[in-house]
Amino acid sequence: MQIEISPNVFVQRLDGRQTYDYRRIKVSFGADYGCCFVELGETRVMAQVSCELVAPKESRPNEGILFFNIELSPMASPAFEAGRQSELSVKLNRQLERCLRNSKCIDTESLCVVSGEKVWQIRVDVHLLNHDGNLMDAASIAAITALSHFRRPDVSSVGEEITVFSPEERDPIPLCIYHMPISVSFSFFQQGTYLLVDPCEREERVMDGLLMIAMNKHREICSIQSSGGIMLLKEQVMRCSKIASVKVSEINELISKALENDKRARKAGERCGYAASLPRGRITALKMDETLVDMTTVMDTAKEIIQEAAVPSEPSSAKHTRAASPVVPAPGVGQVGLGLENSWGLEEDVDEEDEGKGEEEPQMEEQHHERKPRRGVDVVEISDSEEEEVVILHP
Amino acid sequence: MAAGFKTADLLEYYRRFLKENCRPDGRVLLEFRPTTLNIGSISTADGSALVKVGNTTIICGIKAELATPTVEAPGKGYIVPNVDLPPLCSSRFRPGPPGEPAQACSQFIADLIESSEIIQTDDLCVERGKLCWVLYCDLMCLDYDGNLRDACVIALLAALKNTQLPEAVISTETHLPVVDLEKRHGLKVCKHPVASSFCIFDESTLIVDPTDEEENLSTARITVVTEEGDRLCAVHKPGGMSLSGQKLQECINRATVRQKEIQKLTDKVLSSVKTS
Amino acid sequence: MEVCGISNVTLRDFSCEQSLLSRPDGSSSFMQGDTSVLAGVYGPAEVKVSKEIYDRATLEVLIQPKVGLPSVKERSQEQNVRETCEASLLLSLHPRSSLTLVLQVLHDDGSLLSCFLNAACMALMDAGLPMSCLFCGVTCAIAVDGEIITDPTAAQEKECRALLTFAIDSKKCRVMMSSTKGSFSVQELQQCIAISQKASEKIFQFYRDSVQRRYSKNL
Repeated sequence: MQIEISPNVFVQRLDGRQTYDYRRIKVSFGADYGCCFVELGETRVMAQVSCELVAPKESRPNEGILFFNIELSPMASPAFEAGRQSELSVKLNRQLERCLRNSKCIDTESLCVVSGEKVWQIRVDVHLLNHDGNLMDAASIAAITALSHFRRPDVSSVGEEITVFSPEERDPIPLCIYHMPISVSFSFFQQGTYLLVDPCEREERVMDGLLMIAMNKHREICSIQSSGGIMLLKEQVMRCSKIASVKVSEINELISKALENDKRARKAGERCGYAASLPRGRITALKMDETLVDMTTVMDTAKEIIQEAAVPSEPSSAKHTRAASPVVPAPGVGQVGLGLENSWGLEEDVDEEDEGKGEEEPQMEEQHHERKPRRGVDVVEISDSEEEEVVILHP
Repeated sequence: MAAGFKTADLLEYYRRFLKENCRPDGRVLLEFRPTTLNIGSISTADGSALVKVGNTTIICGIKAELATPTVEAPGKGYIVPNVDLPPLCSSRFRPGPPGEPAQACSQFIADLIESSEIIQTDDLCVERGKLCWVLYCDLMCLDYDGNLRDACVIALLAALKNTQLPEAVISTETHLPVVDLEKRHGLKVCKHPVASSFCIFDESTLIVDPTDEEENLSTARITVVTEEGDRLCAVHKPGGMSLSGQKLQECINRATVRQKEIQKLTDKVLSSVKTS
Repeated sequence: MEVCGISNVTLRDFSCEQSLLSRPDGSSSFMQGDTSVLAGVYGPAEVKVSKEIYDRATLEVLIQPKVGLPSVKERSQEQNVRETCEASLLLSLHPRSSLTLVLQVLHDDGSLLSCFLNAACMALMDAGLPMSCLFCGVTCAIAVDGEIITDPTAAQEKECRALLTFAIDSKKCRVMMSSTKGSFSVQELQQCIAISQKASEKIFQFYRDSVQRRYSKNL
């Protein structure tokens, strides 16, 4: 068994990348605060951060709560089912929690409003939109970028009263983030002979093992996770962590630049959001400017339709233009539409059938109950006669 | 022979009837099934009603509970409708969590309560920011034979009109809510919306109050909700065959007549309950 | 009552991108102003036995909200979109198979239901599924003073008295779907339908332009 990763072995990847290359990463933001889109090659992820005032956990009365939810949307892959927790989603959720919550990169104490009573719960929803491998890295970039982009409303507490200010009243406040951990994935092939950074979906399908290292730009490892059942040597892990440190500092720089650009654009009052980031130079994309709708004939058309319908076109519908009067056979019970205008001449039978059913009502008199069984027989006869009528109508 | 024809080609069977402007159950195209209303059927609920439209049977019970108002609307109570389609009412509903028809109908009723403002939610507030009433309106289908929405709306409205809320105050000494079950007062029901459902057969045949069979065979379903004074509070058509403005107007005209009919029925039954 | 603001009847800027996701068989993103929706279609594919229909394909529509899990509101929107798609798709050409349409909210700035419909139609077109007609969604808001606003923003939706969304088909420009909120008069309803029919012409023209651009090979 070959245990050393030999850099001399020339590896050609399906998409033409070198062993340690990441695919193209694009980070963009939505119109809301805390909304971030990440494209990692063809893999696409969206993260949205939201907040809510809740009661804190009893064990930590003066700390805010961080909640992560990775949604494996069926849009991302036909293998994902809606609304079902799969093994993969549990694994990704756990890893994201380890990467962003357990690393204490966010100051949760600053999220406390009234100790033991009200704290902010920060919820991060990560939607996977297209699955082309390495979901974890894309999700971790999206989540931490969205958290850094997010602004929560300002609050003040006087006595028991808690006031939440709208963005117009007071500028919303960013979260206090100490460092930005980013996950870097390595896939191993042939018991560790080959190593690839940022595996795509096809590579993930045939890999033997996966190593995920979450690291910040100070080269501190926040979480390390190996799965797939391969044994790795100390040297291999060390080598991976070295590669990770390079990748993390590159990605960190990209995120800071994207955040800065967005901040500048927002300050200048430029239009931002998903709609503004639509690619222009593609034949599959098209934009149309604001258009006026021609209204000249609208009023007339509407009037015409109403007038036309006011005159009943068929004589059969004419009798439905006046309301029928209801009958109240017993207090608390009323009926309308008893054999109304029945062209079948079955008024009486229908009448009886309905009274028979009406006996389920509690207020009906005793007498009715006694007659019930006989009525039941009647009902059967009605349906019989109906069938006969059918034959007469369409011989 | 007719029974055989019906089994072999149900749609064609219906088409033959509709061509003659009538339906297999003896109704003409724009005729509703007999509607029976019973108010106050459940004595343990704060308000209740039982409605039968043909075979379709809906029972509505209203339970009032005290709660704290939401932070967004401190001066308002709220109404929580829920439509349940248990396996009991038809073989096509399975036990378990509510399916799409039940959820869509619940949302329809919730939208209707909001759009028509049947009840001013301010009336349900006992003390601003502290205490309010929540009305849980449970609509249970006992027998499903089409046209669920019409029956649900009639049942809900009659039950709301029947509701008697006990008097509640926050005691000045203990700061706890005190309920006086003896003193009860009715709810102020301001509007009287009534739903009328229609089905389209093939291209353009319009029928009212469809049965389950008719609903399955039709190409589109429409529900129009009208109020007094010819106002509309919902025109719901979930999809299906497209329809012109003229056809829609026909539905609305029929719905306005139905609204008057049902309002009369509800008022008459209510007064009969009060006098007895 | 009879006031009808003729000046304000505009549609916000539209944009659309097709085939932007690699996994689905058809995908599109549709933007109306800031409101954006992403749609993906899978199928015709194998269907679960419990959902199989012997003479046509089973269409499933899933709407994913931005925050949290789908609620009853999404269920009812799903029903609206599904039944509209079912009426325009020629499902009997793919019996015993499944079609899945997933709609993801990217940003809600009003007229969301109409944006769902437009994104869905573009995605179905991109997937190359046979359809009998195209459809589009138009939302109209009736302001407190009776003025009709088309394609309202979230702020306009909040202030309005009634909100009506229609799906219009491309063949006869008739109403395929209707979903309303708030109370309104018969006149207002008919005016909104007429306006939506007029607005649908613009949207169908946009559909045509984008398809033409796709197959024209030049930008």
